[in-house]
Amino acid sequence: MPRKFGLIAKFESPADIMHAAKKVRDAGFKQWDVVTPFPVHGLDPAMGIKRSMVPRFTIVGGTLGITTGMLMIAFTGASDLDLGLLSEGYKLIVGGKPFFSPQFAFPVSYELTILFSAFASIIGMFILNKLPMHYHPVLKYDDIAEGTDDKFFLYIEKDDPQFDNEKTRAFIEELKPTGISELEE
Amino acid sequence: MSSDAIQHDASIPNPKKWLLFGAIGLFVSLIGFFVDTRMAAFSYLIGLLFITSITVGMLFLILIHHIMDASWSVVVRRQAENFLSAMPYLGILFIPVFLLTYLSGNQGVLWIWMDPTEPLHGHGTVGEDILWVKKQWWLTEPFFWIRAAIAFGTWILFARAFRKHSITQDTDGSPSHTHASRKLAAGGLFAVALTWTMAGFDWIMSLEYHWFSTMFGVWFFTNAMRAALAVLILTSIFLVSKGPLKGIFNNKHLHDLATLSFAFTVFWGYITFSQYFLIWNANIPEETFWYNLREQGLWWEVSMLLIFGHFLFPFLYLLQFPLKVNHKSMIFIATWILFMQLVDIFFNVLPSLKDSHGEPMQLFSSPVNLIWYAAGIVGAGGILLWAYWSSYRKTRIIPIRDPRIVESLNHNF
Repeated sequence: MPRKFGLIAKFESPADIMHAAKKVRDAGFKQWDVVTPFPVHGLDPAMGIKRSMVPRFTIVGGTLGITTGMLMIAFTGASDLDLGLLSEGYKLIVGGKPFFSPQFAFPVSYELTILFSAFASIIGMFILNKLPMHYHPVLKYDDIAEGTDDKFFLYIEKDDPQFDNEKTRAFIEELKPTGISELEE
Repeated sequence: MSSDAIQHDASIPNPKKWLLFGAIGLFVSLIGFFVDTRMAAFSYLIGLLFITSITVGMLFLILIHHIMDASWSVVVRRQAENFLSAMPYLGILFIPVFLLTYLSGNQGVLWIWMDPTEPLHGHGTVGEDILWVKKQWWLTEPFFWIRAAIAFGTWILFARAFRKHSITQDTDGSPSHTHASRKLAAGGLFAVALTWTMAGFDWIMSLEYHWFSTMFGVWFFTNAMRAALAVLILTSIFLVSKGPLKGIFNNKHLHDLATLSFAFTVFWGYITFSQYFLIWNANIPEETFWYNLREQGLWWEVSMLLIFGHFLFPFLYLLQFPLKVNHKSMIFIATWILFMQLVDIFFNVLPSLKDSHGEPMQLFSSPVNLIWYAAGIVGAGGILLWAYWSSYRKTRIIPIRDPRIVESLNHNF
């Protein structure tokens, strides 16, 4: 017997799904989501979704990038540090400039800041979205194909602390969906 | 201009008050021309450059708005257009610079190369200077004044054209004005970019005619953009707090202006660093001396202030979303950027003025200087605000019949 995942409800219009999302948000559910065929404007606040945490990853990546750039140039140009087989610092005078100066380390550090920020943003996005995700229980639901066409879906997972099969089903029915169904894992 | 579109609002400042401010500033500058001619002339030029950079920056914003067929910026465009009404007056304010050159008894009062008999510190006169002789085809007086006239002429022409189209559209609602503006913007971007670069080369770079930097025009452009965005943010927030733009100018518009501000902060850092870096790396005396002069005395602290205050601080500040959608925090950073832009103009202009020992003039060489500095800024600034509020009273608060006005009003997160 397959394990239960939660309850899914079908809605006909963006206005209906917005209304339903607000109700679910206000009821205090945490483990739930909405499936729409296109981005619905204003759905994020209706679902109570806060601003993305991705920028936190970006700032960490950027800071790491500029530090790496500066340290790398300092290591290659101004240190005698011996890392054995890996690499060895070798002091070198180029163009009569000092061994190390932030001026000429800056272009490299700046590029690495951008590169590391981009990497951190992508990685952060993957982590926060729980990607890669090759399978999701809603895919087992036959009507979900309509969610890529003209129908709107809302599901509440049974892992939600407030989830109670009978009560939650009654709650969803109050939202007046055109269909309600159980999701299997 | 449409006669019915007049706004009477007691909470809006009286333009005449600003005209009085401007007149006082100009009068003090005039006294300065007799007391300390060179210092007052340089202060006047700094004030004029600062205010002109704000106004031309507004013109750039409008050009970019039209060429991109932008929708979000329609609600703030009218305020930028109001600022454009100051353009002819700024052209008039440039005339004293011409008069000073020929009536002050010292033709090199501002641009030292205009007086070939001016002795150079340590080696002959300007007329004997090979670096001037070689550049003489460009740095010749009639051509210089013609270029200034072309520059102001171009800006006035485009300012008038964009204002006319936008304000006429308020009454006739024809989309042809939008199309015409877009076509104007295509040519205008080239014309204004070229004349603004020329202005930067002529009015600031040629103060130290030995020196040259191909990035100078771009630096001048970024500063104009930063100043204009700062002023536009302050104006919009002011109009929201007073009522006229309340419910129209929302946090998303503010966020977009702040993001543009952020972009030009990065661009300023990029250009300013690149100019310094190439000169530092190549290490050629005819280029490095310009920075060496700006490491003497207080100018070293000023250059550090620019790195950390004009770039790093606004950069880190504007990275943060909550600060970009808050009126108070944006008032603070816009004022900050505007002040730093003024410091940057000082940094680029004033060390070109030499004291009796051939050393760069220090910022506070005499406390009296502060009077001339203030007079230069208040003079041109008063005229700008007078023109703005006069135009504000004659126009509607937003271009109500712009084809994209609804998109702009609905622009939100």
